[in-house]
Amino acid sequence: MRADVVVVGAGPAGLAAAVRLAEGGRQVRLVARGQGFTHWGAGAVDVLGRVGGERVERPLDAIDRLGDGHPYRLVGPDAVRDGLDWFRDFAAAAGLDQVGDPERNRGQVTALGTLRPTCLVPAPAGGELRGRVAVLGFAGFRGFSAALCARGLGQAGYEATAGSVELPPWSHRLYFTAVELARAFDDGDFRARLAPALAKAAAGAEVAVVPAVLGLTGGHEPWADLERGAGLPLVEAALAPPSVPGLRLFAAWRRRLDELRVAWQLGFPAIGVDREGDRVIAVRCEGASRPVVIHCDEVVLATGGVAGHGIEANRDGSLTEVVAGLPVAGFADRTDFVAGRFLAAHPIGEAGVRVDGELRPTGDDGAPVLGNLRCVGGLLAGHDPTMEGSREGVALATTARVALTLSMTDQTDKAGPRR
Amino acid sequence: MTSLDTRVVVVGGGVTGVAVLRDLALRGVDAVLVERSDLGTGTSGRWHGLLHSGGRYAVRDEESARECIEENFVLRRIAPHTIEDLGGLFVLLPQDDPAYAEKFVVGCKAAGIPVEELTPAEARRREPLLVDGFEAAFAVPDGGIDSWALMRSMVADARARGARVLPRHPVVGFERDGDRLAAVRVRDLAGGEDVVIGCEWVVNAAGAWAGQVGALAEVPIHMIPGKGVMVVMASRHVRGVVNACRKPADGDIVVPQHEVAILGTTSVQVEDPDDVTVDPADVDRMIDMCAQMVPSLTHGRALRAFAGSRPLYKPPQQEGGSPPVNEDTQDTRAVSRTFTVLDHAERDGVANMFSIVGGKLTTCRQMAEALVDRLGARMGLTVPCTTAEVPLPGAEHGVHTLAAPLATVERDRAYGTLICECELVTAAQVREAVADGVVELEDLRRRLRLGYGPCQAAFCGWRAAAAVCERQLDAPEGRDAAPRPTKDTSPAADLSTGLARFLQERWRGQLTTIWGDQARQALLNHAIYRGIFDLAAEEPDEAAAWRTRGLGTRSDGPVEDPKSESLERAAGQREDPASKVGRELIGDVEGRAPSAGAESG
Repeated sequence: MRADVVVVGAGPAGLAAAVRLAEGGRQVRLVARGQGFTHWGAGAVDVLGRVGGERVERPLDAIDRLGDGHPYRLVGPDAVRDGLDWFRDFAAAAGLDQVGDPERNRGQVTALGTLRPTCLVPAPAGGELRGRVAVLGFAGFRGFSAALCARGLGQAGYEATAGSVELPPWSHRLYFTAVELARAFDDGDFRARLAPALAKAAAGAEVAVVPAVLGLTGGHEPWADLERGAGLPLVEAALAPPSVPGLRLFAAWRRRLDELRVAWQLGFPAIGVDREGDRVIAVRCEGASRPVVIHCDEVVLATGGVAGHGIEANRDGSLTEVVAGLPVAGFADRTDFVAGRFLAAHPIGEAGVRVDGELRPTGDDGAPVLGNLRCVGGLLAGHDPTMEGSREGVALATTARVALTLSMTDQTDKAGPRR
Repeated sequence: MTSLDTRVVVVGGGVTGVAVLRDLALRGVDAVLVERSDLGTGTSGRWHGLLHSGGRYAVRDEESARECIEENFVLRRIAPHTIEDLGGLFVLLPQDDPAYAEKFVVGCKAAGIPVEELTPAEARRREPLLVDGFEAAFAVPDGGIDSWALMRSMVADARARGARVLPRHPVVGFERDGDRLAAVRVRDLAGGEDVVIGCEWVVNAAGAWAGQVGALAEVPIHMIPGKGVMVVMASRHVRGVVNACRKPADGDIVVPQHEVAILGTTSVQVEDPDDVTVDPADVDRMIDMCAQMVPSLTHGRALRAFAGSRPLYKPPQQEGGSPPVNEDTQDTRAVSRTFTVLDHAERDGVANMFSIVGGKLTTCRQMAEALVDRLGARMGLTVPCTTAEVPLPGAEHGVHTLAAPLATVERDRAYGTLICECELVTAAQVREAVADGVVELEDLRRRLRLGYGPCQAAFCGWRAAAAVCERQLDAPEGRDAAPRPTKDTSPAADLSTGLARFLQERWRGQLTTIWGDQARQALLNHAIYRGIFDLAAEEPDEAAAWRTRGLGTRSDGPVEDPKSESLERAAGQREDPASKVGRELIGDVEGRAPSAGAESG
């Protein structure tokens, strides 16, 4: 098997890398252990929500306050803008309009009634909360509590009321998840029957907050349709995983990969590489029935950190990068954080691979250890995607840098052999 | 300041104090139990869950061994619903001393412990994951026991007989009247006021904290808190209890409990019984040592680790002694596991105070009996002890089985209302607990096992917070579909801090087990609570929260005045709690079926 570029990983970074490189004319193959963070997040694009635990208003201005090895310091704010602009266009073309401004954080309402700091949110989560806010849950759906959300919003200073809306009869009455409920919202009849009850429950409110389950396969259209039917703005609150907005986005990524004829396989973990000098010449994968070797010119590693299985944390405190055995920076001793607080940063969140300005992995001396492998997204050392709220921003910015670097490599290749 | 009067104040809401309260109640003596936190938050809630056969003491501590086997059979009779009939093996490994096995069998027989040597094939049939090449295996009647269920049952029984229980009422002092303690002064953490409880007798059942309570009464009691570290594995690995057949040492026991296995334990003297920190090296040693018996533990998923303080007692010379602590290692294993009743009249000149120290959960009823017999002799009480005969509320459910909760969920088709999938806790169970006044998520954990499973509260934490919030909104007039204003003007604690405390407690247990899958789980939990829900990092210090706010979210409720409510509870005027106890463990609670119907629309 052969490809120009093998992308390993199907989270926001791997998907964006595969699409961008394919758009740039590369023949790309994407392999991944499984689904990535699209399914586990809030469905938004977080750029930089906090620095040192403090909330940040203008994320790009705060990059200077980050440590030297932080991915944003390596790629710079323009790569962040490039990444977000590109993503916004991609999402809009897929019918998933994004709302927000890369220069300024906004609050995305959550099921706890908090307003999480983020930059871009899908349009159904983008409405402004003002005046009286009706928080409405759906009877029998345990993924969202209107009472809890309204209490949180009340503490944040909003005038919020909690209410419940009975669902029209549908197939999953005894036990259903957010995903099954979202599928029900794809059905226009279901929405038409629900809309009057929603309007009634929201009577007197200027805006309604509802769980983020308003449709799965129809992009944002089910939300827009229900909003028209209910006669007031509806704002989707972020829920615990699995993320329905993330699933909508994942579907869009898949469609785009297919359009670009990118071969992609999930359940197909990369387990090693073949090297020739300082270059990777092939990626070894664990296929369903036998190992598969994919020969390639370039590799983009987007396997995520410890959370994404890109790095294995061992009992002895050591960390192993699972595909290429790259050096990992992180905690060395489990005794370091015995006194930690759950909601504060933990060293393992920052564990990752150190890279140079071209995102090539480096050794202790700072020199790249591999010339044609680049790391993007959560795998990178020096940032804590969850605690600082930077996951999608880092994914898109580092992907933008790789796209730029490889497009320049293209030109170099045309000018003459580089190796 | 408010005041109460009673005949006996029992200090300490662990299993010993609760057993004393029940014993007094059964003998018709009015009593009030006071506890600094929630019931079972000390040693009684921080242990491995072993219903001892006595085998662990058979060689060196025959008195303890005998007490254990007697009480093992008593508890099976009076509290079967809190017990899982696991059976236990003592396994002799090639590196162990065969002479110890001989002494073990002799010791078991001397103490009255039924012991049977199994053929290797039979032992392997019982425990398929046992290491290859063990030399011998002995079967004894070890079991598993849920101490919180046992305490709830005893409290329910005592309350039904008029006893009063005041959790979150730490003792702040005693009022003296000559050589007597005339009253116990406690602080109502919820209401912030002191309560003075006039009494005729005081029983110090504060376990590892007995020295601190004694000091308030100017009675010296030298406790040796013996810290034991335990590791929780994400699945059971074993079918019954597995012990190493050697002198008790670190990492020589595996106890399956509900959905997990608990590896134990260390035994090291510490200064402060509240020191429950865990050294990662201890975690590694527990796993490595226990894996000598059950090799699959090496690659198992360690969920978390925790420690508890054994209430070991060091008698002064004149009381006759037990062997001292090993000075080099601070190992406390040589201190006897039996118990001692101290009458402070003869010992310290305080005429109406007793302490009970040492002992273990398995023998709690016997300890209570011995204490109340001594106390009763002084009180002129002639009613005999019946705690070994009268079954506890819930006993009618019979012995607990692992599959019972799932069977209940299946029967009720309650999947859609599960708050905690790991431990099969339903919304109706949470609602019922909230209706009983339990709104602190940490207390829900002890009552319902919420958050104990592999996900360590990833999904149940926020769901439970929601259930508490909804229940508070619904009270008192029942469910109301109309939107209600929720603008929160109360100055009291909010749910997110209760949630943060709950998560912090889960997290504390995981700090030394962050590797492999549990590292990924921890990061997922961060991604949910910090990443998606943006739960504030500035959660208050837990200890401070307990002391300043006590009941936490309770006072946030729309109708309840915490102080009057706690006194009302104290006065035992609520619905008979005994009617519910015992069904919680199998999830069979009142109101579930109709609630489940309402939930599913």
